Amino acid sequence: MRIILRLLLLTLLWISPTLAAEGFKVGLLTPGPISDNGWNAGAYEGLMKIKETMEAKVSHVQVRSPAEHEEHFRSYGEDGFDLVFGHGFEFQDAARRVGRDFPDTFYITTSGNTVTKNVGAIVFELEEATYLLGRLAAGMSKSGKVGLVGGMEIPSVESTFIAFEAGAKSIRSDCTVLRSYIGSWEDTALAREATLAQINRGADFIFHNADAAGAGVFQAVTESKSKGVYAFGSNKNQNSEAPDSILASAVIDIPGALLKIAKEVKAGEYEAGVTRLNIQSGVITLEMNEGLKDRVSEEILEDLKAVEEKIRVGELEVPRGDF
Amino acid sequence: MTTAISTSPTMVQRRVWPWIVFLSYGVLLSVHLWNGFDFGSFFQSGVRIATPLLLAALGELIVEKAGLINIGIEGIVLMGAFGGFAAAYQLDSLWIGVGAGMLAGLLLAIMFAFLCVTLRNDQIVIGAALNFLAIGATGLLYQIYYASSGSTHTLEPFQEFELPWISGIPIIGPALFSQTALTYLAILITLVFVLLNLRTRIGFHLEAVGEHPRAADAAGIPVHRVRWAAVLIEGLLGGLAGASLSLASSNTFNEEMSNGRGYIALAIVIFGRWNPLGVLGASLFFGAVTALQLSLQATDIDWLRSNYPYLQMLPYLLTLMVLTFSIGKARAPSAMGKHYHRE
Repeated sequence: MRIILRLLLLTLLWISPTLAAEGFKVGLLTPGPISDNGWNAGAYEGLMKIKETMEAKVSHVQVRSPAEHEEHFRSYGEDGFDLVFGHGFEFQDAARRVGRDFPDTFYITTSGNTVTKNVGAIVFELEEATYLLGRLAAGMSKSGKVGLVGGMEIPSVESTFIAFEAGAKSIRSDCTVLRSYIGSWEDTALAREATLAQINRGADFIFHNADAAGAGVFQAVTESKSKGVYAFGSNKNQNSEAPDSILASAVIDIPGALLKIAKEVKAGEYEAGVTRLNIQSGVITLEMNEGLKDRVSEEILEDLKAVEEKIRVGELEVPRGDF
Repeated sequence: MTTAISTSPTMVQRRVWPWIVFLSYGVLLSVHLWNGFDFGSFFQSGVRIATPLLLAALGELIVEKAGLINIGIEGIVLMGAFGGFAAAYQLDSLWIGVGAGMLAGLLLAIMFAFLCVTLRNDQIVIGAALNFLAIGATGLLYQIYYASSGSTHTLEPFQEFELPWISGIPIIGPALFSQTALTYLAILITLVFVLLNLRTRIGFHLEAVGEHPRAADAAGIPVHRVRWAAVLIEGLLGGLAGASLSLASSNTFNEEMSNGRGYIALAIVIFGRWNPLGVLGASLFFGAVTALQLSLQATDIDWLRSNYPYLQMLPYLLTLMVLTFSIGKARAPSAMGKHYHRE
């Protein structure tokens, strides 16, 4: 019994966001575990950067259900936090509701379009990089089939898929783009099966946007190496996760972006709005796996560079989801 | 005369079943050969998905047979997944990982047995509490030891082991005879359960304790000891299910990676009518339908793609339908979920 109580207490302590000390205080809610080496890990890294470089008090909670979004936003507000990040599109409603009650706290969601006096959004235009991945995939695919594996269908994920598909079709109009959602951000085993199902249908380039479950995608692609199948990483540079199979990653510099916003808030310069970060602002990049670069033809590499430049100067607008 | 008529349907059924199996194999084989759709990989995937479900459901089966209900099986699976991964990763041995996963499951089972069998707490409440405990404990340990490093930790998982000769049979070969060691183990355990369920002492004791504990007690069967044993076995099997999830179905641990498989196992026990072979069938059915929905999602047919939530529903929907429309009686052990007080 005592062991259970202790463990429960420990668990409570761990998720408790309360911090008594004064000073600049920053909170972060992530929708999934920060061990995904992707979307959530990037945000946690950003929080740690804020802690180190700004000597801020920081707190992180991994929320498990939508009901918890509001609850934790509220407790951060009550504890006098200056800035709270809700890491994802799904935090907007809670931010709007709670923001009214705590006008001294800035609530910022990473993606979304909800703006009030103290509620804002950062939009990472990852689509620009996934468009490039789509071009790369279609340019190299032998079967003319490429696959997308998503965690859950939220607009920000769907949008990266739309851009990928557009990129693929811009190279090869007859390219088939398969798309599967597994309905979870954690179920690696199911992600692996979904990926194997796509490979079974002939897909030979797979891009995932499934956070921690993405590990299952990499596993499936690695075990199908003999079929000439490659994967792409998302949100963070994941090339080292499966160095023989991940050709490139669509990368967001989430830590840098969060730090930049935190600095603005601390200096009192931040004005609530939608901050768009993209290739031009240097936050979105396409990172090739140097170890596999020799498998990509010069021609394709040149093309990627040229298109990236077009996006940077605003000559080409990448198709994306409407949200 | 009437008896002859009433026995004839079963005779007909017996004669028809082999033909149905034979014919559907023929149909699958011709599609396989003409269309190029790889049914072998498809069913292989189904059996892979079914393995952890089967193991967890067998554990839950024995507990329910003994007159308990443990919804904490979800937590047991999660503990097994973490324990298995952590030990295998640290000690670089998959089989040590399997053992550790079973022990991790056992740990949670001991708590359940102590709280519910010895102290007679509410089984549903304790089961739910143990699930939260498992989520918190595995999450905490994972974050402390693995998550902080920033990169995911993977290991070389169990490989498929092709049985000689028979794995070469089209469709059936890859599905049943080209699986990991843990799948073979799961099927073996099912067969052991079938044998025990037939007229053995252990089977009788279990049945007696689950159906009428007072009578069992009067007959000299130690009710609490049998229930303790059943829960401990569930801990081991649930832990094994978890280990197969992190060491065979995938190559890493993830927080909450059990993703409701324990709850599915609860349904599979009902679907399988508290019968080991039924549980095997129900697990394979669920696995195959999950593989089907993934396979349908991976097509380029637009209306399938835009309606994928219905596909995701498919395994649950079909299970529900089979449960609703399946004829014949399915009866839970009478004393299931009830405490036994010795007076």
